[in-house]
Amino acid sequence: MSRFLLFSACLLGSVQISLSQGTPEKIDLNDPNLKFVDGSVIPIPLEIFASLDKLGKQDWTKQIKDREIRLDTNRSRTAMLFGLTVSEGFIAVQAEDKDAVRRIGREVLRLASSLGVAGSVEEHANSIVNAAGKSDWSIVRSELDKSRQTVLTKMAELRDDELVDLVSLGGWLGGTKVLASVLQGNYSVEASDLLNQPELVKQLRVDFGRLPERAKRGKVFGQISKTLKHLESLMRTDIHGIISEGKVIEIALSTKSLVEAIYES
Amino acid sequence: MKVRPITLLVFLSLAGVLMAPLCAQQSGGTAGQQALPDDADRPVPSEVKLIAQRAAMSALTGENPFVLRESSWSGEIAPGKARLLQLQLFKRNEYHFWMAVPDRKASVNLNIYDGKGQLVGTENISYGAGNVGGLIVTPRETGVYYLRISLQTTIESPQKWSVIYAWR
Repeated sequence: MSRFLLFSACLLGSVQISLSQGTPEKIDLNDPNLKFVDGSVIPIPLEIFASLDKLGKQDWTKQIKDREIRLDTNRSRTAMLFGLTVSEGFIAVQAEDKDAVRRIGREVLRLASSLGVAGSVEEHANSIVNAAGKSDWSIVRSELDKSRQTVLTKMAELRDDELVDLVSLGGWLGGTKVLASVLQGNYSVEASDLLNQPELVKQLRVDFGRLPERAKRGKVFGQISKTLKHLESLMRTDIHGIISEGKVIEIALSTKSLVEAIYES
Repeated sequence: MKVRPITLLVFLSLAGVLMAPLCAQQSGGTAGQQALPDDADRPVPSEVKLIAQRAAMSALTGENPFVLRESSWSGEIAPGKARLLQLQLFKRNEYHFWMAVPDRKASVNLNIYDGKGQLVGTENISYGAGNVGGLIVTPRETGVYYLRISLQTTIESPQKWSVIYAWR
């Protein structure tokens, strides 16, 4: 067995804490010669919740809402709802709520169907429902992320790029609403920094601003623009590296109001 | 000699890590295609992404595995050039990034900078061939970071690249 471990260690390759030649110690982020890669990867709520749980176990069950989703012909709204529903799924995983995950798995399929990509998502949605029945949370988590990514990929293939941005925005909004709600109920200076996301909010706001007007039809889309601008100023740590309790409450209220408006519009 | 299932799993994972760059170079596409599903409706990962995914395998199992994200970045890069990827990282989490390019003679570098452009300490990991690299970072603060990827001038032709990441 020891020989096997030695062999395995050799195979794994060398692990080193070192810097390669030519690596600058500091870069000027305003240097016009720097080449940035387009396309943000939005963190999924579980990444953030995992950090929060390291400070102490949270009661995620309080954050699960059983609501009926009313669909209409507005595909932009449906894309936002898809993102929101997947984020609800991640919350249900964190709460290990089988029934909620199964319900959300079915909703994911219904929303994907409305977006015209059910065929690509069906397998993942079924896996979510089945794995929830077995309490296999790592599979549920993986299949939720796959559902989300599959829809984004299919939308891009179908040249529905504006819907890609809206799915991402919906997912981020749902996770942020819950994070702010949890922090509001149990504020701590240490945990507040999880809301320090000014560059991410800015990117989401810029992406949303670039969407064609046809993708922003409906009253709720005006509210999205205003809320993102408001959040960009709120979701920034102060000189002490914290986000105040007052700001956390404001973020919780703003995101809750917007999420409700999307569901009810 | 008895071989426990977990031992076999670890061995297969490690073998995958070792073989990934080699397979990619020798197969000219077949290595990636072997793992692809028949269902044409599914998104098909690029071969270069599969190289990165194979390198990631051993970090995704065990007692405290990283959780792989489905999202990824990709593009093309010339030797001697660098690219920056904007990231939102959260304090108390650990993040593992992998970069891959197809040519086994290539040599990739990965580094992380904070929101002020300052280099951040990371654990850099090599996998036996220079066309795959990885790093682990534990951010001290929540906020924006930049992953700098670069390709050394050990080769002449531009390379398609893929970056994937996992967290725990």
